[in-house]
Amino acid sequence: MANVSIRSLSKRFGGKTPTTAIDDLDLEIEPGEFLVLLGPSGCGKTTTLRCIAGLETGEEGSIAFGDRTVFDAAKKINVPPNKRNIGMVFQSYALWPHMTVRKNISYPLRTKRVKRDQASQWVEEVAALVDTTPLLERYPAQLSGGQQQRIALARGLVARPDLVLFDEPLSNLDARLRDQVRSEIHELHGRLGFTAVYVTHDQVEALALGDRLAIMNAGRIEQLATPEQVFEEPASEYVAGFIGMSNRLVFERQDGTWTLDGEPVEGELDSIAGSSATIIARTRAEDVRIAPADDGAPPGSLSFPALLVDSEFGGRHLDVMVLVGSLTRVQCRIPAGERGSWARTIQTGQPVLAYVNPRDPAFYDDAGTLVSSVGRAVPVGS
Amino acid sequence: MTTAAVGRLARPRGLRLERLLPKVGIVAFIGVLGYLTLLPLIRLQYLALKDGAQAYSDAYTRPGWWTTVKWTIELGLGSLAVALVVGTALAWAANSLPPRLGFLKVIPILPIVVPAVASVLGWAFLLSPHPGYLNQLLRLLPWWSDRFDGPGDIYTLPWIIIITGLALASFIYLFVSSGFENINGELVEAAQVSGSSRTGVFFRVILPLLRPSLVYGAGVALLLGLGQFTAPLLLGRSRSISVLTTDMYFATQQIPPQYGTAAAIGSPLLVFGIFVLFMNRVLLGDHTRFVTHGGKGGFKTIAPGSKLAAFWIVLYGALSTFLPMLALVFVSLSRFWSGDVHPSKMTLATWRTVTTASGVMPAVWNSIYLSLAAVAIALPIGFIAASLLRRRSEHRIAGPILDFIVAMPLSIPAVIFGVGFLMVYTNEPLVLYGTRWVLILVYVTLMIPFSTRMQLGAMAALGDAYTEASRAAGAGPIRTNLQIVVPLLRPAFGGAAALMFVLLTHEFAASLLVRAPTINVMGTILYDYYENGGYPLVACISLIMVGVTTAGVAAAVILGGGSDAFKRL
Repeated sequence: MANVSIRSLSKRFGGKTPTTAIDDLDLEIEPGEFLVLLGPSGCGKTTTLRCIAGLETGEEGSIAFGDRTVFDAAKKINVPPNKRNIGMVFQSYALWPHMTVRKNISYPLRTKRVKRDQASQWVEEVAALVDTTPLLERYPAQLSGGQQQRIALARGLVARPDLVLFDEPLSNLDARLRDQVRSEIHELHGRLGFTAVYVTHDQVEALALGDRLAIMNAGRIEQLATPEQVFEEPASEYVAGFIGMSNRLVFERQDGTWTLDGEPVEGELDSIAGSSATIIARTRAEDVRIAPADDGAPPGSLSFPALLVDSEFGGRHLDVMVLVGSLTRVQCRIPAGERGSWARTIQTGQPVLAYVNPRDPAFYDDAGTLVSSVGRAVPVGS
Repeated sequence: MTTAAVGRLARPRGLRLERLLPKVGIVAFIGVLGYLTLLPLIRLQYLALKDGAQAYSDAYTRPGWWTTVKWTIELGLGSLAVALVVGTALAWAANSLPPRLGFLKVIPILPIVVPAVASVLGWAFLLSPHPGYLNQLLRLLPWWSDRFDGPGDIYTLPWIIIITGLALASFIYLFVSSGFENINGELVEAAQVSGSSRTGVFFRVILPLLRPSLVYGAGVALLLGLGQFTAPLLLGRSRSISVLTTDMYFATQQIPPQYGTAAAIGSPLLVFGIFVLFMNRVLLGDHTRFVTHGGKGGFKTIAPGSKLAAFWIVLYGALSTFLPMLALVFVSLSRFWSGDVHPSKMTLATWRTVTTASGVMPAVWNSIYLSLAAVAIALPIGFIAASLLRRRSEHRIAGPILDFIVAMPLSIPAVIFGVGFLMVYTNEPLVLYGTRWVLILVYVTLMIPFSTRMQLGAMAALGDAYTEASRAAGAGPIRTNLQIVVPLLRPAFGGAAALMFVLLTHEFAASLLVRAPTINVMGTILYDYYENGGYPLVACISLIMVGVTTAGVAAAVILGGGSDAFKRL
């Protein structure tokens, strides 16, 4: 087991519109750690993974597994992927259609010249581990997507590589299978303790699997922290937006009072904002509540008048869109309540009062720097 | 500790060698291909430009030169026009076929499969002024009944243009119909739902989307039309109709052979071929603009299948293939070619003697063996070239050069290669003239584009994930190729091999130039007998040629998954 250290790695793609896929990236992955690279498409996460695998070559920087340098642009070292001792799981599974499942799984052992007896024992073991023993003699085309991805997982793990790379392995599976295979990966990592780098654009997967998450933006790491930290203290607005804080509320101080898109705001913001005239709150839809316009908001909350634009029934909850001022649209997810409750009677076009607990949002100054975040907001009244 | 340090220090040197070796390999590979494809052309130009371009001034001041140029252009543009209209209409018709008549889609491909020499001769037997079968039939019509010959005369330029155009329509059909298949059906449905009629959809959506296929297909067809050799040679001679390619051939047949003059005559074709090659790169540079693959590949016209479409396709099949073949059969069963079609006069006499006729069977076996040998060489060359081109971005300099070299034999008429090979291999350092090797080398050279393109297409369809998975699983490039790529590409190899075999057993132009008097292939022995006027025997040999080809096609269908093999062109 080795740590992986990436030092000032850069990668550009040529062509008519050259793009910087990885921009001077530094990353240290601990032995046995499960690191998730998270970001939208085009942020450079897959390219980073492929550089670690040796399937792409960076222009600058270095990558080392433990004390073994596998890539160094300055020293012109570039160990080919087959000599990096890695396992990899692909989005499209990439099971070779002309080989049986057993041959697919044992392939990495054959390339490493593992003895036949040993190899077949390892294949059986890993097949049992991913629960696919009955499938060993079949061909990939005869398997379902979930089965195929389990086989791909087995193939990635069978040679007990130093490092296992996952390239969006769940995105071709349907929602139910995705949860199932995700739990299996989590469990396997717990049992086997391999070092893993996992690329995904799905925040739920990232939060569930990662020991640490690296949220990437335009080829750089925007935040590298534990799932809890990322969830509760998103380092930037970009991270907040990506991790589910989709509402962006821009509070402005005018003549000593706070407004949101021109509408007056009730509640205490001075202690969070300090002396600045603008403060931006990022909140999740679950953290915004609405009440009848003539009711008061609960004490200690930040409230502002809004107009109800739309409401969708979601079973236990309602997804409500309200408009504050002329431009600020705010998504709220509120409990549906009992039949006949106020929430179920709301109508499009109706004025309401929207409010948040100031402990819930993450606050940023207008430069995008985190000022105060979940649970750390100054207690009301202090 | 020390050993570990030494080992780490030593690594960069080893790696340098590892990095160097593939580069040396690539340079050597390109060198070999360059020797095959470029050297003949360069040597020809050198010869033509010698002594202050004496050969050029000789060639371009000869009497009749400008008429030849004019006829060549007429043949190129005329046959292109015929091919574009007929080919596009055929593709559209094939797309509107009722499902149970879907098998008719094969018909428009037949002219590629049937040897050009055979169908040209077939047409000669159909439309020869007096004895042509079709002319005799037409003279039964009241308004032509008083004529002694005609109304058609195959030995004139318009008819040469028409039958060339009909043959080239096959290529246009392939390009356009594969273009149809790449059009996302939802794009067409979206246009229909938005209120366009069927013709509106065709002109506003389908044709613009097909622009790249059409431009490329038209470029290729124009090159083929301008470089057309078989029809002008076999049909044009009796009225002294000559085009650049036939002029080149006759220049090499003089004693001593006028290679310089031949090169000079061929130069306009060479320049135009290279021009089309570059324009193709420039025009179609941004391929992604035209990628229309969506959830549902290929579109179907929503109108119920049209019987009329089937009629047009069958009519095309009759004119381009069936009637000429039928004419060959009749002639092969006659004692003399008199134009009589009477069951009582039919005889198998010629068929009984064909196997013993001087040189026929050796030529048949030569065709088969030489084609197989060339396929066996061209296939691995194509594999390597396709593998390199697949990673074009990694080879910034080698990539474009290879791309160019590989495309050359497709855009330059086979006659020019024939002359070039004849000249290069009758001279030092490698004198191969008079051996079978020179034929094999020409064949390999001519097949490089097909071999490479078909395998490149198959590799692209395979995608990178399988090979990347293999590399990540610890396999080196050699193991990855042997255990993953080759087994997965096996159907493509089969299809490519069979197609190349078919094309090579047809080969006429280059073979005629580089053959030695003692070494013939089917096409050249056919020409010899045609020149001497043994028509029933010529018809027999043509039909044997068709038979060999049919075997190759059957192999293509079995190995390469049906007529799709031809669509990878």
